[in-house]
Amino acid sequence: MAISLIRSLKLQNGKTWALDFTPQGNKLAIASEDHKIKLVEIESLEKKQFKLVNVLDDTVHKKAVRTVAWRPHSNPPCLAAGSFDTTVSIWSFANNDNAIEDDDDDDDAGAGLEANEMDLMAIIEGHENEIKGIAWSHDGMFLATCSRDKSVWIWETDEMGEDFECVSVLQEHSQDVKDVTWHPSKYLLASSSYDDSVRIWSEFDDDWECVAVLNGHEGTVWCSDFAKDNSEETRLCSASDDSTVRVWKCVEEEPDGQQQWICESVLPKAHERQIYSVSWSDDGLIASTGSDGSIVVYKESAPAVWEVVETRKLAHTVYEVNEIKWIKVNGRNILVTAGDDGCINVWDFQVLLSQ
Amino acid sequence: MSDYLNDNPNVVEENDLPSRKVSEDDQLLMGSVGSQTCLKKKRLLLKIDNSGQSSVQQAVELLDKMLLLNSAPELTSDEESVEETDGESLEQTNEEWEPVDAQEIYDLTAHISDPEHPLSLGQLSIVNLEDIEVHDDGDYNKMAEVIIRITPTITHCSLATLIGLGIRVRLERALPPRYRFTILLKKGSHTSENQVNKQLNDKERVAAACENEQLLGVVSKMLSTCK
Repeated sequence: MAISLIRSLKLQNGKTWALDFTPQGNKLAIASEDHKIKLVEIESLEKKQFKLVNVLDDTVHKKAVRTVAWRPHSNPPCLAAGSFDTTVSIWSFANNDNAIEDDDDDDDAGAGLEANEMDLMAIIEGHENEIKGIAWSHDGMFLATCSRDKSVWIWETDEMGEDFECVSVLQEHSQDVKDVTWHPSKYLLASSSYDDSVRIWSEFDDDWECVAVLNGHEGTVWCSDFAKDNSEETRLCSASDDSTVRVWKCVEEEPDGQQQWICESVLPKAHERQIYSVSWSDDGLIASTGSDGSIVVYKESAPAVWEVVETRKLAHTVYEVNEIKWIKVNGRNILVTAGDDGCINVWDFQVLLSQ
Repeated sequence: MSDYLNDNPNVVEENDLPSRKVSEDDQLLMGSVGSQTCLKKKRLLLKIDNSGQSSVQQAVELLDKMLLLNSAPELTSDEESVEETDGESLEQTNEEWEPVDAQEIYDLTAHISDPEHPLSLGQLSIVNLEDIEVHDDGDYNKMAEVIIRITPTITHCSLATLIGLGIRVRLERALPPRYRFTILLKKGSHTSENQVNKQLNDKERVAAACENEQLLGVVSKMLSTCK
């Protein structure tokens, strides 16, 4: 079996909606239905040691926390969390113990918890309804937020993450916007919506505009993720209520900034119900999960030809799985999933040599 | 305005709603749990309890309580030993493994009150036994699917959505997590079928709705008439 469970961490009784890991891959932030944001540290993957190191001030959000995202290139690490209460909270570690250089001065037992104290830096308000997705640009300069109010907002921030200025409100979607995601190296944003489309947004002449609409899914698009290879190609995968995963490719950029995208592939159908989440690894594998509780991993065996390399059913027993992400720990790609059972499951994935 | 299937429903009396055919003898024993296994258990347990002094009625009440708890291990072993001496099969004594059928789904949802009328969804024929589909092989480790097609009496969108939400909340609370529910408006019953169907089956919207106190208050009121 190529997918094997390393550890299942039960965090609460309600749903775990989402997770994100620090760029160093050693801390997970978890968004859950109980209005809380939890931090789990990966102490040792080999020894399967994980530790719940902090639960952030649970009076900040009045409803479920739907989404979390660590800011890239931020020292100390900075976290954004979006809630059904229509706000986004910004958090930063209280002291510098979490600086990327390792300190050796946390010998006393209490230091672990103190080191993981996070201060509330800002609350971002503006959306009219539940926040459904948030994402930082690759350099941490912009934060994108999306909501049931059909809009995507782009915020520019300072180094400390205390001031947020809304630089654009994008309102072309006709229904809820479920998820936003940034290109790994460009100012290119993708938004997925209840209106069955994905829209691509780019900065042009100092303003943000929609440069492409990806139509093809026959149901809500829940999630999308850009390819992380460093090639010139710009590709995106998307997951939908119609139980398919599609891969899209930008084939032309016009002088006026508009882009031509095509649906390059519909991945082999491996899910029976809604697909809620999809993640593209830095070594080219796509993983998906959703209402049927299965994890499916796909590989591109030839350009634009995809095959299923592994399926793991009942990843959170009989519960639905809300999010899946590849994370890199000590140079090794592992999968982490968040389920309705209140668990975070950590999975080892090894590509078999025969494949 | 008779374009809608159920715009002028015949109101059915509560007692005339479809239910399992049971003999009078069985009806006496029927509590809120109505499955055959349960009934069998009750009969067996009644036999045991007859040795005591309590009247049949008291025993039935007691049994109802015990069966609803459904976790006392001594109870299970007692029952199994009784069955063994009776020479009956031991298979499927564990209730959790018993598949749910359309009648059970109907019983769970038909008594929900209509948000507008002082009548239940069953009485107004909004929920109908023949419009319930269950795909369940009874395996505790597998997912099972329930599809309900409802026929709203009103054509107003938000009320149809509210009824659907009430049904979803009721089923999610009453049945184990392995069940996936699809709630749809019956074809031709509503002006904006697709729109309502999409909302009712959007997990995130349902979850957000369940955190809205006002909405939850209305739903709780609808569910307060459930047995």
